[in-house]
Amino acid sequence: MSLATTAVAEPTLVLGGDSGALHWQTGAVRGETYAERTVLTHVDTPAVLHVEHGRLRRGPGYAAAPALVRRELARTGAILRLRERGAYVVHASGVVDHGGRAWLFIGNSGSGKSTLAFALARRGWRVLGDDGVVLRPAVDGTLVAHGWRDPLRVSAALCGIFPELAPLAPLIDEQDERRRVPADVPFAARAPVAACICLEPGGCDGLARQSETAAMAALIVQSPWVLLGDAHAPAHFDALRRVASTVPCWRLVNTDRQLHDIGRTIDSLRS
Amino acid sequence: MTCFRLTSRALAATLSDGAVLLNLHTKRYFSLNETGTRVWTHLQRGTRAEPIIATLLAEYEVDELEARRTVLSLLDELVGEGLVERVECS
Repeated sequence: MSLATTAVAEPTLVLGGDSGALHWQTGAVRGETYAERTVLTHVDTPAVLHVEHGRLRRGPGYAAAPALVRRELARTGAILRLRERGAYVVHASGVVDHGGRAWLFIGNSGSGKSTLAFALARRGWRVLGDDGVVLRPAVDGTLVAHGWRDPLRVSAALCGIFPELAPLAPLIDEQDERRRVPADVPFAARAPVAACICLEPGGCDGLARQSETAAMAALIVQSPWVLLGDAHAPAHFDALRRVASTVPCWRLVNTDRQLHDIGRTIDSLRS
Repeated sequence: MTCFRLTSRALAATLSDGAVLLNLHTKRYFSLNETGTRVWTHLQRGTRAEPIIATLLAEYEVDELEARRTVLSLLDELVGEGLVERVECS
């Protein structure tokens, strides 16, 4: 009888701590979290943003920092504020089907979240976000995905596949290693969650139902703020549990074929 | 007498095919299969090892030696990961 399997979380947060504060880092943003406040700094630029009692307050260097630095600090600050209000960001893209239900694509950077969201937007689906959606349990028990108002960006390398991207090529952000362009797509504000699809890039397409425990593990990795272990962690953890236990999840190993086939793939899941 | 109970740093999600445990201090997470989840359910109330072993004997086709070995092994593992602690009980 085998009772337990163990896995080590691979959070995008890197954490440490001492008696007074929890030290962590995600991307280029470092955080020091105390009981009721967090100090955010940036690894590249001496800029500070405070998160105190649900409010953001600019610290030294923030106003003079480059726009990208301010945006990264503000995004992290917003994620922390949302947690205090019972809303939890998941590293996912979200698209709303013609029936008004949200499909979440979760996965690491480069797994295909944005391009599949764009491929569905071309079929008339509306986009909630391409690099993050906000989950908030509704009063009636349903889970609602809210949009994250970043523009959807897709790789300029897809211009050959999606001709409408070609005129946008001059808009490539040269500081972006992935050379993406902002795509013009219809957005949605919110929708109840219909399903989640865990993406993995691979050599051949494959689709399989994800077990609830596997889906929960994937959600923890893609919503690493739960690992902060603060007073909001139990509610955050429970929101992820509700996704894993109430929403069907699939694992999709995807190749470029899905840029054309994702609509049919989802139709097959709905049937 | 020794009892086992959950620590305050453990979060657990019970799901249809098992459970996922998260240690908020070490930031490690674990999955339990259906049988392990049955053990975990006992631990939420705080318990000695004997009632857990008795439950497995009643619900699964396993002999006592095997049930005792696997329960004690899992408890050791959970204590080692800081998800469960040993306390004295009457």
